[in-house]
Amino acid sequence: MMREGVNRGRSGRTFLLISLLPAILILGGFILLFFWGFYQSLTDMRFGRARVDFEGLGNYARLFDRGRFWDSISTTTIYAFTAVACEAVLGLAIAKLFNTRTLLAKWCRPVILLPLVLPPLSVALMWTTMMNPETGVLNYFLSFIGINNFGWISKADTAMFAVVFIDVWTFTPFFALIIFAGLRGISPEIIEAGRMNGAKAWGLFFRIELPMVLPYIILAALFRLIDSLNQFDIIFGTTQGGPGNATNVLSISAYFTAFQNLQFGRGAAIMIVNWFVVLVSALVMVKLWRYTRKRVS
Amino acid sequence: MLKGKLTSLVLNFLILAVVFVMAFPIVWIVMNSFKEAADINAYPPVFRFDPTLENYKVLFDIADAEASSYGTLKVEFFKPVINSVIISAGAVLLSLIAGVPAGYALARYNFRAKEDLAFFILGFRFAPVLLVIIPMFQFFQAIGLYDSYFGMIWVYQLITLPMIIWLCRSYVEDIPVEIEEAAAICGAKRPQIMLQVVLPLLRPGLVGAALLVFLLAWHNFALGLILTAEKTPVTVALLKLLNPGISFYPVVSAGLVVSMIVPIALIILGQRHLERGLTFGALK
Repeated sequence: MMREGVNRGRSGRTFLLISLLPAILILGGFILLFFWGFYQSLTDMRFGRARVDFEGLGNYARLFDRGRFWDSISTTTIYAFTAVACEAVLGLAIAKLFNTRTLLAKWCRPVILLPLVLPPLSVALMWTTMMNPETGVLNYFLSFIGINNFGWISKADTAMFAVVFIDVWTFTPFFALIIFAGLRGISPEIIEAGRMNGAKAWGLFFRIELPMVLPYIILAALFRLIDSLNQFDIIFGTTQGGPGNATNVLSISAYFTAFQNLQFGRGAAIMIVNWFVVLVSALVMVKLWRYTRKRVS
Repeated sequence: MLKGKLTSLVLNFLILAVVFVMAFPIVWIVMNSFKEAADINAYPPVFRFDPTLENYKVLFDIADAEASSYGTLKVEFFKPVINSVIISAGAVLLSLIAGVPAGYALARYNFRAKEDLAFFILGFRFAPVLLVIIPMFQFFQAIGLYDSYFGMIWVYQLITLPMIIWLCRSYVEDIPVEIEEAAAICGAKRPQIMLQVVLPLLRPGLVGAALLVFLLAWHNFALGLILTAEKTPVTVALLKLLNPGISFYPVVSAGLVVSMIVPIALIILGQRHLERGLTFGALK
C-alpha cells in the first residue's frame, strides 16, 4: 500500500523519468543505428563512394540467387545447433556429476567456470596453437590412440568439427551452471517420494529430475543458440570462414563483404538475414520453454 | 558397501577427467609462454623445459635489441592492455551511472509498458553486434569518433548497459521494500531514499555486477576490430601478433596469458557474484 503512496504524484513521475532517461537515450541511439543499418541493406552503399542508390530488395535478391549464401545460412545453423545440442548433453552430465556428494565435486567446482571467463578470441587462438596438425599437442594425444595428422582447422572436412569443438569447450560450463542450479532447486522430498515408490536411480532421473530441469536446459539453450548463431570471435580467431567456405557463417561473411569488399549495403543485408534467423530460432525456443514449464507445474 | 565405494571412486575419477579437460589447455598455454621458440615448435611436444621470460620481454618490448629470436620487431603489447583497461573501466562506470537508476525504477515503479521495456533491454543481449557496427563505422568516421576512447566507451554500452540494468533490477528486488517504506514514513524523499538507503544495501551486488560487466567488456573483440586503429583493445592486438610469415606462437602464448590473467583474477575475487552474472537473465 505504502509503495503506491511513495510512487504516486508528480514528483514520483519526474523521478521515474529522470531515472530512466539516460539509459533510454543511450540504448535508443543503438536502435536508430539498427534502423539505419536496415536502410543501408536496401541500398548499393559502398565505403568511400559518395553516390548511394536506393535499390529496394536488390541486395537480398542477389544474395538469395547465390548458392554460397545458402551455404552460409546452413553453415550458421549447423554450427549453432550442433554446438548447443552437444553443450546441453555434456552440461547436463557435468551438472549431475558436480551435484553428487563427492569431496572433489565441491573443491573443483570453480574450475568449470574457467572457460567461461576467458575472452572467446583468446580461447580461439589458444586452440589454434594446440590444433596445429604437425606440432600441436592435440595431435600428439591423438597419436596415442592411433589417429595421425588429424586436420583440425586446416582441412575443409574437419574445420567445422574443430570450431564446434571450441564452442563446446567454451560454453558447456554455461549449461552446467544453469542445470546445476535447477538440480539444486528440486526438493529432496520429491526424490524421496519417488524412491519410496520403488523407482531406481535411472528411473528417478528420467521421470523426475529430467522433466524438472528441462525448462532450465531449454532456457540455457535459448541463450546459447542466439549467441552461437551470432558467433564471430571463435571463427574469426581460427579459420576466418575457411578453408574454402567450410566455416563461412553469416556474420563472418557479412564482415568480409562490408570491410574487405567494402560493400556496406550487401554486408548489412547479410546481417539482417542473420538477425532474422536468430529471431525465428529464439521464438521457437521460447514456445518450447513455455510448454515444458507448463508441464512441470 | 563395496559398491558404494566403487561408485564414489568412479565419480571422483570422472570429475578429475572434467577438470583435466577444462584446465589442461590453459595450463598448456601458460607453459608455452615460458618456453623458447624451439621448444614450442618441437614434436613430440615438450613437457619439461627450462623456463624463460623472453616471450614476455618481447611482448612488452623490453628485450635487448638483437637479443631475442625476433630481432628488432616491435610488439608493444603494453598499450593495448592499457587501452582495454581504460575502455572497459570507462564503459562500466558510464553503465553504472546510467543503469543503476534505471534498474531501480524498473524494480520499484509500476507503469504501463514496464515489462515491455524490461524485455526490450534484455533483447540487447541478443543484438547482432555486426549489424550495428556497419552503420556505426560510417557514423564514427563522419563525426570523428573513430579510434577514440570516448567512442569506444559509448559503443561498449551496447554490451555493458543492458547487463547492469538487468542485474541491478534483480538486486533491488531482493531488498525488502519495507525498508524504503519506513524511510518514507520518516519523511525521506525519493532521491534521498535511493542514495542513503538503497545504494548502501545494493553495494555488494553492484560490485559483483561491475566485475562481471568489466569481464564482458574485456572479452569484446568485434567492436575494437572495426572501430579502432591505434586504440585497440587486447583481443585485437592478440590477433595482430599472429603475424603472417613469422611463426610467432611463443609470443602469442605470452599475449594470451596476459589477456587471460585479468578474467581469472576477477573470478578469484568475485566467484560468488560471477555465477549469478554469468547465467545472466537465464537465472534471476
